[in-house]
Amino acid sequence: ELFMWALLTAEHVKGSVSLSVEEGKDTMLHVSDQVQFSDVNSITRYLARVAPALGLYGANMMEQTEVDHWLEFSAHRLCGQADVSSALQDLDKALALRTFLVGHSVTLADLCIWAALKGNGESQAKPSAHPHLCRWYSFLSSQVPFSSVGCKWSGKIQ
Amino acid sequence: MKLFPVFQNGEVDPALKALEERQDEILRKLYDLKATVDGLAKTVTTPDADLDATTLTHSPAQSEPALQGTADLDALLGKDLGALRDIVINANPARPPLSLLVLHALLCQRYQVLSSVHVHSSVSVVPSPLLSCLGPRHTDGYARHRFQLGFTLIWKDVPRLQMKFNTQNMCPIEGEGNIARFLYRLLGAEPRDPVCATQMDSWVDTCIFQLVEGGGKERAAVLRALNTTLGRSPWLLGQDFSLADLVCSCCILRARLTPSAPVNVQRWLTSCQNLSYFHCIQPLLQ
Repeated sequence: ELFMWALLTAEHVKGSVSLSVEEGKDTMLHVSDQVQFSDVNSITRYLARVAPALGLYGANMMEQTEVDHWLEFSAHRLCGQADVSSALQDLDKALALRTFLVGHSVTLADLCIWAALKGNGESQAKPSAHPHLCRWYSFLSSQVPFSSVGCKWSGKIQ
Repeated sequence: MKLFPVFQNGEVDPALKALEERQDEILRKLYDLKATVDGLAKTVTTPDADLDATTLTHSPAQSEPALQGTADLDALLGKDLGALRDIVINANPARPPLSLLVLHALLCQRYQVLSSVHVHSSVSVVPSPLLSCLGPRHTDGYARHRFQLGFTLIWKDVPRLQMKFNTQNMCPIEGEGNIARFLYRLLGAEPRDPVCATQMDSWVDTCIFQLVEGGGKERAAVLRALNTTLGRSPWLLGQDFSLADLVCSCCILRARLTPSAPVNVQRWLTSCQNLSYFHCIQPLLQ
């Protein structure tokens, strides 16, 4: 689910930044010979920062801080966790009055939580128990590039 | 101590008086010399050594790496609507967030901050250094309009460190690293260069998740990586002190890893602790 999230971010910025994706054993962003980022958090943060016009890191410092919060939330409370029920509750509550997790457009927060759910919690989120989360999830899933990345890579994972 | 014979009529021998004055003069010069040497020693042991030593004795504050950037709260947070902008932090006294205390000291250098510490009913006993960790209590708390920022720390039995700010627009923020990033942005000090900013975030994540929460093997790996980087440059991002240094050093100090840390890390920890805004955490490390 981690590399899918990096790819999703890459799909979002590819019109703004010149970028190529190669298949390999590890996930790695090669910026220059001196600078490489190997953890997915750093890869997505860097991509969001080099394409500031897309607003993937939020529109102001408060939104930036919310994005940071969801990056950590997805890495520590969704990815690789057997029991995600309390995390799903928190997400549902956060989305009750929102279309996107942060601000009024797609940010890294939506990308990382969506990718984490795609990999892990998708089957555990129930419309009866998590109506807002499920609304948000299906809304994003129907949008490009979520839909295209989802199709392209779900085939490979199986 | 000065001892000299006094004449019967109570007058001091003029020769002795002159000697006494000479002694005072020599002591004064020695004192000045010591201040200069202390200032020089500080520039040498502090990695930021490209300062003019002659200015040091006059204003010792200049020996500290100043944070770059200008901050204007209205520009950063939107227009002030009259109410005090209050940062409320819920922290578990079992895991005091040292980095946030250091950032609080930095915010106090920049803004008028109304700081207060509270104990929630969910915890029974809080050690006294934790109660005084934001400095002396303000006596003019009623004049809230005189302050630019509120900083309210509540010792509470929470599973995760949490910050609430502008709750109408912002979700509660969890995690020491994320709250530290927010406070650092309030100082207007975040690097503008995408590579630098991302490297800074990466160090913060590494220290919090692999050093604080990781096992022995992960800790050793982080300390090795820190040592390599600090062998090449005085601070983690190069020539300038940043949030990376602030958070990582606080993690190592809190985990009490100083004695087992490699040499470059030890030198860097000393440099950090020499900064005046680190002094507030000293009582918590005893």
